[in-house]
Amino acid sequence: MGTTMNFRTKVFLSITATVILAVWIVAAVVSTLVSQSFERRDAQRTAALVSQLQREFERRGSDVARRVEAVANSDSVQRLAVNLVGPAGGQLDTSQYFAAAQTLAQEQSLDFLELVGPDTAIISSAEWPARFGYKEDWLAQPVDWKAQGVFLREEHLADGLALGLITVRTIAPSDKTLYVVGGQQVDSDFLASLPAIEGVRLELIRDFDMPQGLAGALVADVRREPRELKRVTDATSITAIPLEGRDKQLLAILLVENSRAELLSLKRYIQETAAAVGGAGVLLGLMLSFWTASRVTRPLRDLASSVREVALGKWDTRANVGSSDEVGQLARDFNGMTEQLVEQRDRMIQAERVAAWRELARRLAHELKNPLFPLQITIENLQRARAASPEQFDEVFRESTSTLLAELDHLKTIVGRFSDFAKMPAPQLERVDVNQMAREVVHLFEAQLQAPGRPRVETKLQLAAEVGEVLADPDQLRRALRNLVLNALDAMPQGGTLTIRTARHDNKVALEVSDTGEGLTPEEVDRLFTPYYTTKQHGTGLGLAIVQSVVSDHKGTITVHSEPGQGATFRIELKANA
Amino acid sequence: MRLPGWASFALSSLLFSSLLTGAVRPRYGGTLTVELSNAWTTLDPNSFKTALSVPIAETLVRVGSHGEIEPVLVVAWQHDPDFRRWRFSLRPRVTFHDGEALTAATAAPPLLAALKQTYSDVSIEAGGQAIVVHSDHAMPELLAELALPRAAVFRKSDTNALIGTGPFRVTTWDPGRRLTLAAFDNYWGGRPYLDSVEIEFGSGHGRADLFDIPVGPARRILPESLATWSSAPRALLAITSTNADPVLLQALALLIDRVPILNVLAQHKGEVAFGLLPQWLSGYAFLFQSTPDVMHAKQLVSSLRLGPTSLSYPADDLFLRSVAERIALNARDAGITIQPTSAGNGHLRLMEWPLESTDAANELGRIAEQLGASDRARQLDAAKPETLYQVERSLLDDHRIIPLIHVRETYGIAPRVHFQSPTSDPFTLHLEDAWVQP
Repeated sequence: MGTTMNFRTKVFLSITATVILAVWIVAAVVSTLVSQSFERRDAQRTAALVSQLQREFERRGSDVARRVEAVANSDSVQRLAVNLVGPAGGQLDTSQYFAAAQTLAQEQSLDFLELVGPDTAIISSAEWPARFGYKEDWLAQPVDWKAQGVFLREEHLADGLALGLITVRTIAPSDKTLYVVGGQQVDSDFLASLPAIEGVRLELIRDFDMPQGLAGALVADVRREPRELKRVTDATSITAIPLEGRDKQLLAILLVENSRAELLSLKRYIQETAAAVGGAGVLLGLMLSFWTASRVTRPLRDLASSVREVALGKWDTRANVGSSDEVGQLARDFNGMTEQLVEQRDRMIQAERVAAWRELARRLAHELKNPLFPLQITIENLQRARAASPEQFDEVFRESTSTLLAELDHLKTIVGRFSDFAKMPAPQLERVDVNQMAREVVHLFEAQLQAPGRPRVETKLQLAAEVGEVLADPDQLRRALRNLVLNALDAMPQGGTLTIRTARHDNKVALEVSDTGEGLTPEEVDRLFTPYYTTKQHGTGLGLAIVQSVVSDHKGTITVHSEPGQGATFRIELKANA
Repeated sequence: MRLPGWASFALSSLLFSSLLTGAVRPRYGGTLTVELSNAWTTLDPNSFKTALSVPIAETLVRVGSHGEIEPVLVVAWQHDPDFRRWRFSLRPRVTFHDGEALTAATAAPPLLAALKQTYSDVSIEAGGQAIVVHSDHAMPELLAELALPRAAVFRKSDTNALIGTGPFRVTTWDPGRRLTLAAFDNYWGGRPYLDSVEIEFGSGHGRADLFDIPVGPARRILPESLATWSSAPRALLAITSTNADPVLLQALALLIDRVPILNVLAQHKGEVAFGLLPQWLSGYAFLFQSTPDVMHAKQLVSSLRLGPTSLSYPADDLFLRSVAERIALNARDAGITIQPTSAGNGHLRLMEWPLESTDAANELGRIAEQLGASDRARQLDAAKPETLYQVERSLLDDHRIIPLIHVRETYGIAPRVHFQSPTSDPFTLHLEDAWVQP
């Protein structure tokens, strides 16, 4: 059987669970709101960052355009253009301009600058001086280069291709055009020159197969569909911006890695604070619930204690009425109930006493009436014999006195029985062999049972060998067993079977006396041990009362099991003498 | 209006010629200031490989502008039929800068040291003003050897100062920074016009009376009044290799476009080179001329499994660096990856080979020796000009060297500076012929 949880514990656990649930819900809501707020802020920050980068690119592009314009308008370039269309025309030796681009690029802080002749052959190149004479065929396209503005383009360098913000200006004093191609390299240095934003890392991806992991997947997605994409992890959010050339070819991908460490740190701080506050709340809730449970259940516990006191027979117990709420009302009702119970008990006791006295009076009257009637008859016979037959008076007197003595003896016996019941002594305990006592009692009744003319009663002894001994007053226990045997014999006027059994169960010894009489009704069973109650025509009603008194004095129990027509079995249980 | 390079060169030469035609009479006195971009760290005559002659020490003979041997410190020489014994008669009344007379005894030691570099068994007998040179082997080129700067006659003082017999003597010498010369009044050929010459090294300001204009793409803005003098091509710019695949060098020789290198990078200061010796020196250089053939070059390297090939150039030479980058660019057209590097251990080396003399056989022999082809050098015979072509042809066919351009030396000359006869020797600019107007 499991341990029963008391009411205070239940209240405590209920309040605690409620507090924890409330704290958890609050924490979950706070955490969710914080996360959502941070995600919004991160998205806004990333969008602002990307926008800032785009503006910076545009600003750099404008700057490049301005510088290239300055180169195109410089004296040396204008002179070159004039010389190209001058008398020397196409025969102009442009070798003297070999280093011009480097000088001009240095002056204008341009990474790329090429002066390209009308035949698209490079006259001077700042980024790759050795490339003079080579053709830039793409310039031959019919394009309004000024309207084209600044665009991204891969430029040839000695050590490979480089990405640049490029613009083209043309100088055409005649039908011949001098091209000025200039720009700024877009590389890690370019990115490093952008306004630093804390927690943001920029990476220019030109080798699309190089990135691994999340960045690699992002780059692959952008390659499939060149558009701005974003991926978010716990640690960072990465935005990939495709950088396309003039012909919409994907030249590079700019990865904007925005560290979420600060956000995560702040989020973690808030969550930890919430957890701490929640923990403190839970702890406080526990204490509060403990206090509340104690306070709420104290009147109930007092009431329960009072109930237990009442159950133990202390009918004058009163519950403490400490409040005017439902519990207080309950205590008041309880007190009212106990008061009523006490009154009812007193009335019942009074009634039972009256009934007992009535029963006693009836029994005494009945018991005494029977002997008194022969005494009256006998004395009347003596009177009539004296008056009518003096000669026979002696004989009548002799017979009558004999009868009077017999009846007086009977009266004396009845009074003795009542006297014995009234003065049942305290048991003198000693070790008693139960089986031996059962045999002795049966032996005591053998002569009576075998008397001629008496209905045959068969006696069975079913004695368990392991019964052992009990601590009991042998005379009282024998008297009780004898009364049960007498009661059984009275229950079998037509004969039957008397069975006496002994048994041991754990530390208890059972002694049973069964008959095969007519049995008892449940109502009879209920009143069987009531003093002066009897179902027999002649009896004082004290036999079983004495048995119950003896068993009770020996701290034992007596029970009866009977059904109408099935006989009855009385069972005495006493503590075994270990 | 700025003139094209060739026009400027022609005009400056014309102006220079007008300066020496007697329009202005020479005068004595004055100091000539000189700036040289390369720093001299020694005054050893053997190290003087510039077109500007600084005549401190002299050789017994010299090679004239037309290749003929001219006497300097000697007045006569004879040799036996098999060129094993030579006898030289020293010029009389020649003194060193410290006043000591030039004798056979003082001239013999430096001569012997110089000749030993070429003729290991050579010996010299000195007696009075006569020097006799002996060897068990024929020495037909002995005069050319004696004309080399390393064969200059000089002494060193107790303070290790150079003492020669030339028209100028050293007055101060700060190696790598400054050299001051004074006219040697007792010079056997007559006192030079200038009282003194002050040479600064590595300054490059261009404010001196005379300064060199290094070859290269960096264009210096020169005053319109400034005259220039350019030597005949006197250095070979070439690619060499001793361990690269000859086929690679053959392909590179075919695909390198030399004309842009000359016109743009060298700013016309030279000639395109397909041979080892310049046209003016050999007379047959035009026979090697060809045009770039990228397709043929591609075919040649198509069968090769080439990795990146490094081309080294001197770390501080911007001109050679730009040439190396241009070569790398040309090579890329044929699918050859050339990586220019300033580290000295490239597969290929880009270098300048300065000519030391106007003796074609001597110069070709020296190149052959440096290419590790001594056997070819021995095949040279000055008396048989055809051997020069044959040896040069064979050296080129070995594909160990790719001639690119022959480079001139150019000097800027202030208007107050005049030379007695500047065009008489296109190979050398003689300081002893210079004079200045006040």
